[in-house]
Amino acid sequence: MSLPIHVLPSAELPIYRQIVGQVLDAVACGRLRPGHRLPSHRELAEELVVSPHTVEKAYDELKRQGLVRARPGNGTYVEDGAALEPAAQHERLYAPARSLAAEAHVVGAPLGRVRKLLSEVDAELRSERHRRKGGRS
Amino acid sequence: MKIAEFNDVHRAYGRGKDVLAGVDFSLEAGQIVALLGKNGAGKTTLLRIAMGLLETQRGSVRIFGLDPRKDAVEVKRRIGYVAEDQILPGFLRVSEVLELHRSLFPTWDDELARRLAERFDLPARPKVKTLSKGQARQVALLCAVAPRPELLILDEPAGGLDPAARREFLETSIRLLNEAGTTILFSSHYMSDVERMADRVVMIHDGRVLIDNELDALRESYSLALLNGGAHVDQEKLLALDGCFAVRERAGSLHAIFQLDPQESEAVLERELGAVDVRATRIALEEMFIELLGGTVPSGGKRGEVRPS
Repeated sequence: MSLPIHVLPSAELPIYRQIVGQVLDAVACGRLRPGHRLPSHRELAEELVVSPHTVEKAYDELKRQGLVRARPGNGTYVEDGAALEPAAQHERLYAPARSLAAEAHVVGAPLGRVRKLLSEVDAELRSERHRRKGGRS
Repeated sequence: MKIAEFNDVHRAYGRGKDVLAGVDFSLEAGQIVALLGKNGAGKTTLLRIAMGLLETQRGSVRIFGLDPRKDAVEVKRRIGYVAEDQILPGFLRVSEVLELHRSLFPTWDDELARRLAERFDLPARPKVKTLSKGQARQVALLCAVAPRPELLILDEPAGGLDPAARREFLETSIRLLNEAGTTILFSSHYMSDVERMADRVVMIHDGRVLIDNELDALRESYSLALLNGGAHVDQEKLLALDGCFAVRERAGSLHAIFQLDPQESEAVLERELGAVDVRATRIALEEMFIELLGGTVPSGGKRGEVRPS
């Protein structure tokens, strides 16, 4: 099973962070659901053309965050109801929050409108997750 | 286990100045280490010393705990080596080149060679001189890998290949890692390839190791601070700041590399220098290479700080 992941070697984040972030996104919008089996780190390494060590490190990080779990000899699966520690939430949300706040400042949008937009986007993701869940036979 | 150890390696050509002037680093089993540096930094010299093709003029080199000059045969038998300008005999057919290497290496793995030839889609019949550059590289790589070496040394493996051939070569190397999992020491000028392949980066500058660190640690623990209107800032003072690693002037502003988070380096600059117009970001390897090797690099004491802890 392939993952909706694409890495850019010269982006701001190192490749293993990019993989971690994109798996998180895929879970957030329901493209990856609990119980979904991730490709082996070797398979994903060949697909993304990155070192298998890097994918292993990304998977270890996802495990550490409680988002996936390894079943020995049987692959790695997306976990149910995974949630990050508040500190990790902050670490991950700070940069996108900052760039969102900067954009808002530049276009002159008040904070209230940004908050409203965030709720709308959140509702969108919820409905995407719901739709994908419903689509499962 | 230590696969390779370089201690105080020196090498000069003729009566010229030392190309290598005290290189120290070591390679653990299973690591993929990228050797970086500007042209002429001594990367090829170091790799040739590891292979026992050149001798260090001081210090010592140990490969698998052996001396690559005294135990030349055993060391070469256990290393797979692809030189920058690898020349395969053009008049031989691909199958004949493989047969030749097979007869030279007792540990040659027929099954692995067959599988790789199939995956690379290498034809057996054509003469080597009729192959594309990319295919010739793949033949050289296959020959280096099929004996299942404990250490693979690749000098500019993708040099001279077009982007498509380079990507294919990279895919080949990843498959190889998946198939044969080995320790790799390679040099490259393609930073995006290094980001895709390497666990660890060793940067050589002025004949010595300037940086030796895990790639991800390097990516996550350094930042680049841009000081607008930096003309008023004393570069020496800037370089003396805690965490400041290199300074470079560029179009009226100063670029400073810090071994700190972006926010921390901004804070240090504001607090210590009263700098107001500062923006710090994380940087990828390519910029780090240019910022470090294109600017003022502190010597002596600060080098030690970038060693893995």
